[in-house]
Amino acid sequence: MIDFLIGLFLATLITALFTTRLYRLLWWYSLNSLMLGFLALFIGRELDDKAMLITGIATIIIKAIGIPFVLKNLSQKFHFVRQVIPRIKVQYAIMLIPAILVFTFYLSEPITHMIKSNSNYVAISISSLFLSLLLMIEHKNVAPKIIGFLSMENALFLLGITATEGMPMLVELGIFFDLLMAIVVINLLFHKEEMKV
Amino acid sequence: MIAYLATIVLLFLLAPILLSFIKALKMVLLFKKPVSVFQGYRNFSKLMHKETIISRETSSITRYAPFLVLSPLLVVMFFLPPVVHGAYYVSFVDAFTITGLISLSTFFLMLLGLDSASAFGGMGSSREAFISALVEPAMVLTVFSVSMMAGDLGVGQAGVNLAEHFPQEHMASFLFAGISFFILLIAENGRIPIDNPETHLELTMVHEAMILDLTGVYLALIETASSVKFVIFASLFVSLFIPLGLEYSTPIAILVFVAKLFAVAVAVALLEVNTAKLRLFKVPNLLGISIVFAFLSLITFYVLGA
Amino acid sequence: MMLSLLLLPAVLMFMVSFSKNKNVSIWLSIISFSILLPIIKLFTLPKPYNIWDTYLVADALNTYILLVSSIVGIGVTFALMTLDKHVEVSANSYRRFYRFFAIFWIGLIFSILANNMGIYWIGLELATLSTVYMIKTNHSPTAHKEAWNYMIVGAIAISLVLFGVILIYASAKPILGEEAMSFNLLLSHAKEIPSPFLFEMGFAIASIGMFVKMGFFPMNLWLANIERASFYPVAALFSGILESAVIVGFFRFSQIAMKINYSHLFAFVFIYTILTIFIVSFLIFRAKDFMRLFSLSGIEHMALIALFWVSGGTFAALLHFGAHAFLKPALFLSTGVLESNGKYRIAGALRGYKGMKGALFWFFVSLFLLAIVSLPPSPMFFSELYGFGAMIETAKQSDHMLAMIGAVLFLLILLSVIFYRFVAIYQSMKYEGEENEKKVYTSELFALVIFTLSLMVLLLPSSMAFLRSIS
Repeated sequence: MIDFLIGLFLATLITALFTTRLYRLLWWYSLNSLMLGFLALFIGRELDDKAMLITGIATIIIKAIGIPFVLKNLSQKFHFVRQVIPRIKVQYAIMLIPAILVFTFYLSEPITHMIKSNSNYVAISISSLFLSLLLMIEHKNVAPKIIGFLSMENALFLLGITATEGMPMLVELGIFFDLLMAIVVINLLFHKEEMKV
Repeated sequence: MIAYLATIVLLFLLAPILLSFIKALKMVLLFKKPVSVFQGYRNFSKLMHKETIISRETSSITRYAPFLVLSPLLVVMFFLPPVVHGAYYVSFVDAFTITGLISLSTFFLMLLGLDSASAFGGMGSSREAFISALVEPAMVLTVFSVSMMAGDLGVGQAGVNLAEHFPQEHMASFLFAGISFFILLIAENGRIPIDNPETHLELTMVHEAMILDLTGVYLALIETASSVKFVIFASLFVSLFIPLGLEYSTPIAILVFVAKLFAVAVAVALLEVNTAKLRLFKVPNLLGISIVFAFLSLITFYVLGA
Repeated sequence: MMLSLLLLPAVLMFMVSFSKNKNVSIWLSIISFSILLPIIKLFTLPKPYNIWDTYLVADALNTYILLVSSIVGIGVTFALMTLDKHVEVSANSYRRFYRFFAIFWIGLIFSILANNMGIYWIGLELATLSTVYMIKTNHSPTAHKEAWNYMIVGAIAISLVLFGVILIYASAKPILGEEAMSFNLLLSHAKEIPSPFLFEMGFAIASIGMFVKMGFFPMNLWLANIERASFYPVAALFSGILESAVIVGFFRFSQIAMKINYSHLFAFVFIYTILTIFIVSFLIFRAKDFMRLFSLSGIEHMALIALFWVSGGTFAALLHFGAHAFLKPALFLSTGVLESNGKYRIAGALRGYKGMKGALFWFFVSLFLLAIVSLPPSPMFFSELYGFGAMIETAKQSDHMLAMIGAVLFLLILLSVIFYRFVAIYQSMKYEGEENEKKVYTSELFALVIFTLSLMVLLLPSSMAFLRSIS
């Protein structure tokens, strides 16, 4: 089941890379976070780790529901460009994405020998880190870049829950706090734009 | 052996029903009065009674091609994974053979389109070539990857192996292959995001453009071929990616299998209602996703073993 | 208790930033001095002193860095009082600037004092995000673009750091459990880490994140662009406080990495920094305005500090760090005066300062300009001597002596390129261009006086001895 969820996690991210519409992108991001939340819940149940269960629930509430909703509201309020066409053409992306995947899978191969449990997930989280970087690179508009940043956060979170079997509670809460702060700052950045015009 | 032959006959009979079912379901969802599920048979019998007219410009290819479109697909039906436990199946046919036979059928279809010497035929053929060139690599990769997970290159054997012990540890790569194959199912059968089988609009036609000049028996053959193709893909999908129900007794197993086929049909119908047709030059995007997922499934399996 | 005292000025600033009273900023600057009290207390307490459980621990290294960054913070609050005299800023965004400066300061106090990699990262992220808004206070389109730029690049850099932190945590978790986050335990158990490869990978990724944040190769120009687009106190905060927090993280991580595989660490940092200095020195040679010039030179000094630190020249690195942290904010703050009302010309920038204040101002600026290129009485001169000495000392133990001497000579050539450029700019500021009447305010001068005094204190034998004792 965990394998299935992690597969869906990567699948939603890759689909997001090919998306050309903003709302679709938000939808894929939300699914991505949802998968992450379920993953945290499953692993947390397996390890019997209360902290991870809490972070899993927080992930689902904040990242899968809250943030996409806020971003959608923002985009309606400030009239974002909703057609976000990637700058990297599809035919190159088709070659680039597998290349990145192969590269990261082999890059993390020595690591997977060292971590006993859930070793594959390290490779997948590293590759999703690179893919979210690609998501940031391939878009010119700001909104997809934000989503790239947020999915990078997701990739890091995945690494946190799989490679280390959960980080200390304090750190995870701190990361959530910073994420909320990021949303506030993004909101403010758009607000200023509005005031000037 | 009886179960084997019976399955093939069942699939052959089910083929028009599935396509009509999709159509009917779509009509229901769009608040129209649905067509009968047996509309495919009615069309077939109507076409059989009609006079067959062939354009003066055509060569003898038009007379052979419809049979050659249908026959490779009929051959493929013999190689599908078994539906009931202990049935006879062909274990040695691998992904390349199946893809090759399907593309042989496609080849004759394109030839048919070109042979009628109308502008539409050529256009449809070139579009079909464009799409199927992208479909094939993904198809080979996907079926190959699933066969690797099942531990046997033969598609039939793979289906049996998957049903017997499902590869829990390869769930991630299995999922990627599943996504890829579903996109291929849509693309290869000319369903909505790729091609709309219901319109005769110049801009959107792919499949219809090639068979525009055909009438009567030939058209019936081609229609049968396309429904058989759908059923082949659907049954490959259900026996490779939803490998459930093989262990039950024969009638229940067949029932489960048919139910799974109808579930695929429902999924396709829902997708068709909810999406708009892609512009032709956007089609590579969708197929690109499919290729990426197929490749991803292979490398996830090989490198990570997940 | 200690923690609340340390955070007091920043928290007060945050709260006061909501009031509309104009005279409040003077009080703020005076209150900001109160941060020195707990720090002096920290100096006298036995080290390591646990400020907050094991999460925030003060030892000699971070007490020193906290002192340096607090002095910069005090200086910047003084210079902030007259921000609206030099640049156009609306009252509303002026208050917002204070508010986000306070958040930034809080984040960095946490970062500097952190004994926990997670806390360190959280503080850094908080500071990064609040900086985005400080950049945005300037209402120009470029500032808006650069704020987004900072948001994105900064987020990537920070995420890389977190990534490295997680990998390091994963590498040490089998032996240390949840405690694998704390720096001092990692340091004392460095030899027992079961998977050194994982640690080194984490270290490399984390330090690349930090290097990107400090503007090392290949991201040489992004900081310069951002500092150009934003108001001048932002640049001062970057060079004085943010970079201290980043470098303290680098110090801590590399201390652990030194124990695990010294030669890997040395080769990695050595190549990275020399490449950075090589590129930056030529960028400095082409720099045409103050902001870019100073920010590029900041990158150069940060690279030197990292290089000295990994060569074992702890004293040199810390001395260089202190000197740079005082000099660079001072220069950035005086840039605000030099470039006031959008005049970016270098020629004649130092002319036309009348009266006592003016004379004092140009004297200070010339002092800082010449000190930053390490002319002898400057602490930088000594730190570079010691640093190069440490580099040679390291090479003595290996058989790469000739290569090291070559590298040092190469560095000296690059430094002389920078030296030449700075002297040329100084001459152009003093002797070229036309003379315009310019105004200096007392508060700015006071900030510069603070920085000068601190620099002098840094040169005292007792403070040198203190720096030597840290290692």
